[in-house]
Amino acid sequence: MAQEGEVFDLGYQRYTGPREGRNRARIALFVNGIRTVLGIGRGGRAKIMPALLFLASMAPAAIFVIILVTLSDTVPGAEGAADQFVPGPGDYYSIVGFILIIFSAIMAPELLVPDRRENVLPLYMVRPLTATDYIAARCLAFFAVALALAYAGQAVLQVGHVLIADNPVDYVRDNWLDVPRIMLVGAAIALFATIAPLAVAAFTSRRAYASIIVIGFYLLSVSVVEPLTNEICSSTTTTRSSDGSVVISQEDCSVPTGSWAPYVGLLSMSSVTDNINSMVFNLEEEFASPAQEARDELNDAWPIGVYALFTGLPALILWNRYRRMRL
Amino acid sequence: MPPLLEAKGLTKRYGSTVALDSVNFEVNEGVTGLLGPNGAGKSTAIKLFLGLIPPTAGSAEVLGSATFENPDSRARLGYMPEHECLPTSVTASEFLMYMAQVSGIPPSQARTRAADTLRHVGLDEERYRYIGEYSTGMKQRVKLAQAIVHDPVLVFLDEPTAGLDPDGRQEMLSLVERTARTFGISVVLSTHLMGDVERTADSIIVLESGVVARSGEVAKLTEETETLHVEVADRRDEFADALAARGVRAERRGDLFVIDGAQEDDYDHVRDAAVDAGARLKRLSLERLNLTDIFRGRPE
Repeated sequence: MAQEGEVFDLGYQRYTGPREGRNRARIALFVNGIRTVLGIGRGGRAKIMPALLFLASMAPAAIFVIILVTLSDTVPGAEGAADQFVPGPGDYYSIVGFILIIFSAIMAPELLVPDRRENVLPLYMVRPLTATDYIAARCLAFFAVALALAYAGQAVLQVGHVLIADNPVDYVRDNWLDVPRIMLVGAAIALFATIAPLAVAAFTSRRAYASIIVIGFYLLSVSVVEPLTNEICSSTTTTRSSDGSVVISQEDCSVPTGSWAPYVGLLSMSSVTDNINSMVFNLEEEFASPAQEARDELNDAWPIGVYALFTGLPALILWNRYRRMRL
Repeated sequence: MPPLLEAKGLTKRYGSTVALDSVNFEVNEGVTGLLGPNGAGKSTAIKLFLGLIPPTAGSAEVLGSATFENPDSRARLGYMPEHECLPTSVTASEFLMYMAQVSGIPPSQARTRAADTLRHVGLDEERYRYIGEYSTGMKQRVKLAQAIVHDPVLVFLDEPTAGLDPDGRQEMLSLVERTARTFGISVVLSTHLMGDVERTADSIIVLESGVVARSGEVAKLTEETETLHVEVADRRDEFADALAARGVRAERRGDLFVIDGAQEDDYDHVRDAAVDAGARLKRLSLERLNLTDIFRGRPE
């Protein structure tokens, strides 16, 4: 015969367990930040946007790998051609850079705006945390997600390259230097994609405003800087063919405008991480615009300085905004 | 052992506006009511003790430590703000687990703490609902729960009954009393409602225009207003003379004799005066003014 059990409700109890203080609080903020960005612990709708953006940033890598594998399996001797067609790690970062910015513009405000709009901030600040702890944990959380996003596509791409290689071991030995380069550029892109959108989100009352400002500023900087550094022109030539008929041909051309063009070109948001990428992977862009060509003539310190400015200044503004916030 | 809270020359200015003007007081264990009209400096005082804002002069110490300079000292404090402060898109359970961890409780313990605390505030059944779907009363309970989920030594409750209907108000006050009496968490209850303080507080601090207008234990404050009410069935004039002959000053209000600030031996004088006058004693009772009467001024 089974023994009868009895359930006791002890109710609220005094807590006598461990207290891990400020470090636990920081870790909790960091983990919560990652969960918030990915929509974990929230309703289904909160998960749709991060999932879609994650897929979008992974899609180029997945498509390239599928092409790579399919060609090598079905077309004999196609490995070489496929290898040429599929982008290397540096080219891939050029492709996903904009997608990462879109992801950040949409998801980064999720970390800061609701806390301010719903007045949750005072609940954090009366615990063993400072404003610096709060904003650092939020930045790190978003940086971790952006980093995962940047590396995930590269990982898929690199696995594809290894799988299709005639000798995977040789491939890894010949290209091992790409690993630290991938890590470095991925971190640079993720940091840029973290700080600037969060700095904008620190000043807006609605998430949509922050997203629009970031994407708008990105597109605006590109569309303003490019015409300033390029001169669109066309040349018309008239030739007479051997049969005596006259042939008029028109050709578009594009030239850098003046000696200041390379410096203006640095101000385009798209070029901030592209320049670092080109520098680390030593990319020679086949279809580089005149502005890009002009930038390449500059000393390496310039793109590094611009990158430091575009991440350091927003970071300072962000920190100062929260440090001075009165609750 | 240092007091739970200690204000020493505590001053806070916002530009030319003085919110608190060189205030001194101490708060010890139990429930302390922080009373005062809007703009008296109650919220500023709470923010100073919580370390949300720095003092202009003086110090606001919690357990012997200045919270603005030392964030770690806030680990054993709780705070229930007056305003809306809850995220709407998470469940109460999720939110409390998170708040426990932000207070330094390890994740393995945070789940249990969240469940225990939500049961304590009566939201056990509703804990997996999104906070955005809660009523005002339920949100107030979540606000209280997040303030005590880490088992603080002291919790600040800023207008905890604001926006509640009469039943909700009584339930919230019961919760506050239970939190303090049963679980030993000291409470600073900031309110402009005298009734809330009267029911729950052991001591009060009254702020007016940034200064302490009055402070002390509720029992002592009301003790000062003790009056002895005496009624005799007949021979009232003789009884009045007999009282006067014994040196007892009694105010006569119709059939009632009121003796202010009654002392122990006044009971004997009343008995003896009744015997001397041959009056039949009908009623002998000790009355105290409540806090509302004290602060409104004694009724005629």
